[in-house]
Amino acid sequence: MDPTAKPDAMAETNLGVKEDLSAAIDKLWIRFLPEIRARVELLQAAATDRGHSAALREEAVAAAHKLAGALGTFNLERGTDLAREYELLAGRSDLPDDAASARLMAIATELGMIVDGRK
Amino acid sequence: MAHKVLIIDDEDDIREVAALSLESVAGWEVITANSGAQGLARAQEHKPDAILLDVMMPGMDGPSTFRELRSNPATAKIPVLLLTAKVQSSDQRRFADLGVEAVLFKPFDPLTLSSQIADVLGWS
Repeated sequence: MDPTAKPDAMAETNLGVKEDLSAAIDKLWIRFLPEIRARVELLQAAATDRGHSAALREEAVAAAHKLAGALGTFNLERGTDLAREYELLAGRSDLPDDAASARLMAIATELGMIVDGRK
Repeated sequence: MAHKVLIIDDEDDIREVAALSLESVAGWEVITANSGAQGLARAQEHKPDAILLDVMMPGMDGPSTFRELRSNPATAKIPVLLLTAKVQSSDQRRFADLGVEAVLFKPFDPLTLSSQIADVLGWS
């Protein structure tokens, strides 16, 4: 950025950078949406399985971790919070009880809605 | 002169958003690598001014990659910032104890990622 630029011009430049970045991130979102949806579907599948398959559960914990790191970057902070909760809950060593299974399913369902609802 | 930053992350979406952020907001030159092994090679080849290194990667993870970078005289002095989605304080302490410049957290704000890095490295 030009350090000699006047404040109004700098504000305009900043706004321009922000808008350009936002538009570019929207394009990346569309490009990566199939991958993000697949991660959410994995969470839903593992929640339905109620933790019986250790391999599926492990994959779901890894997918939740990735979603937690990524969704907020795409302005979906609620998605990050939910994915983090899923990661912690599904990552426990014991099999999820009825309440935990229901919560995992509710999180996965809400994550699906959040991902599908992003413009 | 624009700074040159190497981003090492196995997640395509994160790597591309971070690269876009550093290039478009700060005007820095960005090199990317999708694994620890590729990151070591790119660091040796391009000699970046800083490395943004993901913690959880298959194969060689972030801490192992960091140790390899430090053990190679060609890359030993390059500042490394870890990038992690781990929020538990025990993990954070463990990462900070490695000797990295800083630990940054995912999700990051693409608009302010470059200023976070610049603040840590005194590039402001």
